[in-house]
Amino acid sequence: MKTKSRSITLLVIVTLVILTIAYVLPIYVVIMTSLKTPAEISERQYLLPSANLQFQNYVQSFQLILPSLINSSIISVSVTLLSALFGGLGGYYLSRTRTTFAKVLFILVGVAVYLPYQVILIPLVQIMAQTGLALTHFGLIGSYLILNVPLAAVLMGTFFTAIPRELEEAAEVDGASRVQIFFRVISPIALPAYASTAIIVFTQVWNEFLLALTLATPRTTTIQIKLAEIKGSFVAMYHLQMAAAVITLLVPLVIFLALGQYFIRGILAGALKG
Amino acid sequence: MQIRRTKHVKPGSKLSFGEFMIFLFPLLVFVVLLYGMLGWTIYVSFSNWVGVQPNYEFVGFKWYRQMFQLARFQADVSNNFKWLILGVVPTVILALFIAYLLEIGSIRGVETYTRTLILYPVAMSFIVTGTIWSWMYQPDKGVFNTILHTVGLGRLAGRYVTNANTATYWLIVVFVWQYLGFSVIILQSSFRTTELQEMIESALLDGASRMRILLQVIVPNIRGGILILVSLLLISSLKVFDIVYVVTFGGPGFATDVLAFFMLIATYQQHLVALGAGVGVVIFLMAFIIVIPYTIYAFRKWFE
Repeated sequence: MKTKSRSITLLVIVTLVILTIAYVLPIYVVIMTSLKTPAEISERQYLLPSANLQFQNYVQSFQLILPSLINSSIISVSVTLLSALFGGLGGYYLSRTRTTFAKVLFILVGVAVYLPYQVILIPLVQIMAQTGLALTHFGLIGSYLILNVPLAAVLMGTFFTAIPRELEEAAEVDGASRVQIFFRVISPIALPAYASTAIIVFTQVWNEFLLALTLATPRTTTIQIKLAEIKGSFVAMYHLQMAAAVITLLVPLVIFLALGQYFIRGILAGALKG
Repeated sequence: MQIRRTKHVKPGSKLSFGEFMIFLFPLLVFVVLLYGMLGWTIYVSFSNWVGVQPNYEFVGFKWYRQMFQLARFQADVSNNFKWLILGVVPTVILALFIAYLLEIGSIRGVETYTRTLILYPVAMSFIVTGTIWSWMYQPDKGVFNTILHTVGLGRLAGRYVTNANTATYWLIVVFVWQYLGFSVIILQSSFRTTELQEMIESALLDGASRMRILLQVIVPNIRGGILILVSLLLISSLKVFDIVYVVTFGGPGFATDVLAFFMLIATYQQHLVALGAGVGVVIFLMAFIIVIPYTIYAFRKWFE
């Protein structure tokens, strides 16, 4: 239903210009500011680039946030891998079973995916504190798994539903067990689905704030907490703040730009349109 | 992708107990933990737990009565409704408009460009977005006011998130900015069904205007997509907490406070754990009401 109508082309262009300003301006200003000296920033020429690009801002803020970058990486990667594995297994069961038990489980999992962490925060903190898990990375990893395994199960299940059953039936005739079929036949075909699920889970965990705020101990501080801390305490040090913000968003952004298609498929599967 | 399912399978029956456990045990563990903790939170909200030491003495609705009388709680509820309405309605309308323009516009490359342009915030955390937008909004040295002064529109300069009357609205702008691309993607995918495309073609042949097609052909036929989008946006705006934390910390006063933020303050700053749990339960009930129609829809699609 494409059209050559002039007025619509004009409308498209106007909309594009507005959107471009709205979405480029913030990130542009942030990158420009992150490369300036504090003195330059106070001149308030936000749209102009720095006369002398201050790359050491990045070195400085990188040193400041390195430990939390490492913590976030350990936690996000572990949660992503485990969620993909457990979610894949559970999602496969949900996509292939029509029993009442599966239906009840689907509802429970479906609701769980959208629950805010606030509803389990108090018991979670209590458990983590009493078991001492909060002192290690396992505390946050375990906590994130509670909500991300159900999410991964829904995402993977949505993708599995689209895989024709004939493949499994052929393998069954050859005498393969369900577990063998899952790992040898289904999972290899579903690798793109695993990629989408992994990206969605990784981004969520990398960006999560509430649990990280209440459960992180000095040794497990995540990057988002560190960034909020820098924003809070270095009030006037916009150059470090902005450099730290750029580094923090770089990881998911690079993934998004490189694997955008998987990201979008993941979003759509999350909206149950897979 | 086509969904194909053979009708005659009797799944589940073929699974031995061992296989059942391999597929389901991890998921079940986390689901049980989750609902167990939900129940625990609900119990705490009826207890008398104040301070650091747990106190599970049952006191009924005592803390709920306290909560409903708190001015801060009432302000939070009204702020939450602002978020639910203004975080969702404008986002859906804008997304619908953009998605439609992308469908009918015929400039090459526009779609890929726009998708990347407005979708990148999806990859960002609210802490990053909040840090960036605080800098935009800052009244004295912030980006918006500086630019307004530079181009001679200084009288339009505002106090944004430092003005108690408007602060929440400016926070919601950030939310809409962040979720617009996400919304466009979801709506676009529901445009792309063969039936809908055919209906649009025939409406065009009948000479219907572009606007009429959007309102009378497209919107009624993508109700499913809109329901999904609205539910997801409602849930996301109910969960909003990080952005309040990092931009305004609930202030000025508690002008931008929301339930999700108050829950944390009540529990870990004021140490009124029973009260915090009660706020958590209220959040849960709101989330539950939002998620139910969506879950039923998803359930029907899944087990059709």
